[in-house]
Amino acid sequence: MDNTSTLHLALPAVHTVASATAPVTTLAQPRAFSTSVNPLVFFSILDHYLRRNADQDRVIGTLLGVRSEDGAEVEIKGCYPVPHLESQDQVEVDMEYHRTMFDLHKQVNPKEVIVGWYATGADLNSYSALIHDFYQKEVSSFPAVHLTMDTALTNERLGVKTYISAPVGITSKADNCMFIPIPCDVKYFKAERAGLELLANNKKTENESTTLLSDMDNLEHAVIEVQNMLERVSEYVDSVLAGTVPANNTVGRYLMDTVSVVPKIDAGEFEKMFNSHLQDLLMVIYLANMTRTQLAVAKRLEKLL
Amino acid sequence: MPANKELSAALDIEGSVPIHSVQLDAMVVLKIVKHCRESAPATVTGQLMGLDVNGVLEVTHSFPMPKNQESEDFEGSQYQLQMMRCLREVNVDDNSVGWYQSTNMGNFMNQSLIDHQFEFQQALSKSVLIIHDVARSSMGNLNFRALRLTPAFMKLYKDKKFTTEALAKAKLTFSNILEELPITIRNTALLNALLFELETSDNTVEVSTSHLTTYKNNNSNANKSVLTPSFDMLDLSLDPYVAKNLENLMDTIDDHQQEQGNYAYWQRSVERENKKKAAYLVNRKTENARRAQAGQTPLPNEDVDAMFKFPPEPSRLDHLLISGQIDNYCKQINEFAGPALGKLFAVGELQK
Repeated sequence: MDNTSTLHLALPAVHTVASATAPVTTLAQPRAFSTSVNPLVFFSILDHYLRRNADQDRVIGTLLGVRSEDGAEVEIKGCYPVPHLESQDQVEVDMEYHRTMFDLHKQVNPKEVIVGWYATGADLNSYSALIHDFYQKEVSSFPAVHLTMDTALTNERLGVKTYISAPVGITSKADNCMFIPIPCDVKYFKAERAGLELLANNKKTENESTTLLSDMDNLEHAVIEVQNMLERVSEYVDSVLAGTVPANNTVGRYLMDTVSVVPKIDAGEFEKMFNSHLQDLLMVIYLANMTRTQLAVAKRLEKLL
Repeated sequence: MPANKELSAALDIEGSVPIHSVQLDAMVVLKIVKHCRESAPATVTGQLMGLDVNGVLEVTHSFPMPKNQESEDFEGSQYQLQMMRCLREVNVDDNSVGWYQSTNMGNFMNQSLIDHQFEFQQALSKSVLIIHDVARSSMGNLNFRALRLTPAFMKLYKDKKFTTEALAKAKLTFSNILEELPITIRNTALLNALLFELETSDNTVEVSTSHLTTYKNNNSNANKSVLTPSFDMLDLSLDPYVAKNLENLMDTIDDHQQEQGNYAYWQRSVERENKKKAAYLVNRKTENARRAQAGQTPLPNEDVDAMFKFPPEPSRLDHLLISGQIDNYCKQINEFAGPALGKLFAVGELQK
């Protein structure tokens, strides 16, 4: 981040409300504030941005998610767009819409609560502070999270950043606040990862679309991938042995660990396991095919009736 | 299904090319995956929205439906309308094109699903059903299927006639209740940018735990780079999956057996009635012959069919569905076994 010194000074100030009255509470929360984001959120934001009105240059929306018990960790799991209007001197957020949407979401997913809001565009302006103030009220005692996504691709990056705010000045005013960057990482689960991987596979293709793979194709992909990796590693090892590349102890240790993970099984034992497994599998396939044949026969017979 | 007027009006504009494939937006894929995963193993459903363009059904948005929709039907449709209104406000295609359902190990062939899809296709002829298998997706390969009821089945279902005869006439068997459409997934350009971003990520703010490693380059970042290749596909523990699949298969076959029992029972009772009828007719004939000899008028011809009650043929729909389900399981096992064999031999080679 650009100004790291402020970051470290300011992070404990997250709980300023509490610490002003009782400084002890800050000690009780040693964990730094952090967020994790489900990739779906990014996707939705981008979709929303693509569907914005013609005269709009940024869109905002509400972030939904769950908090850890002490409130120091926020998992952003979903979001929905909220229409808003920005003009020269004022900003208007459709509160009504926000409420309705939240109520609707609550019916499906009661566990997810409002945790903050998102906006596209890299810069934070005074409107951001105002909107943030509104969301701060929505989340009551917890800090509201603000996520920005640079859809204009400045620096050719889709810079994703998350912030929380800290009040600035002696009296707290709605438009006075400092956005403090907080760490953010991406979190997903197995099934989602399968999806992501598939999407990632076709990102280099031109026509922007992909088809689903069969299990077999998928396996092939994985095997090829492993092969490539192994090749790379062995190339590296060879070049180290040849003395062209200086040895790196850390890499060496990683490699050692990896090699030692491969289990050593007695050959006879393995043979037995292998065969029994194979037989099981073949049997299952045989039976499954048999059942299908039966069904096919039944189908034909039915036609004769 | 509450198909409001705008919906059907919008559908008329879109030409009458039958849909031949389904295109899902990447966001929809993730939305469905998330919704289904979070509520697994319970089955959940949701709405799909989009447009159909020249026979390709483009699904561009989706939203989940609340779980207890059966109990309070009114609430459900209320929710749906409100959601659609809200989405329209933010320029989402507010055109319902179908629905999705989660499933576990492919056990989705059942009456309620067929009912639901029938209603959909009745209201919107181009609607589609997306099935997402959570269990199989979490094994490393995304499992989506797009299904539609075939016209033949629709017709039969409308008449509620599922007799053996009707089925044979319509050439309907378990394998053509549903037709499957190919699915493609579309990434928008911005999304591709995001994916590249995620891949090369020294992501946003660095995770604050101290790094022990000195070795760092783009691919082996200590905070696991977001899209490090996963090798879930190479997982060797096959047994739980196969066992579960077989268990399901067994249950279904039990159902099948029962269904067959029902059918056999019906056949027997029909036969019994038939025999009785035949006996009666023979009796009547001899009686008439006797009377003719005696010069009497023959007995009046009564409505013979009315005298014998033929039990109605049980609906063969269940049978169809169960067969379909069995076929499904078997296919699944086969699909699964292929790669499993491959893996097994790979391990065998590795051991040598």
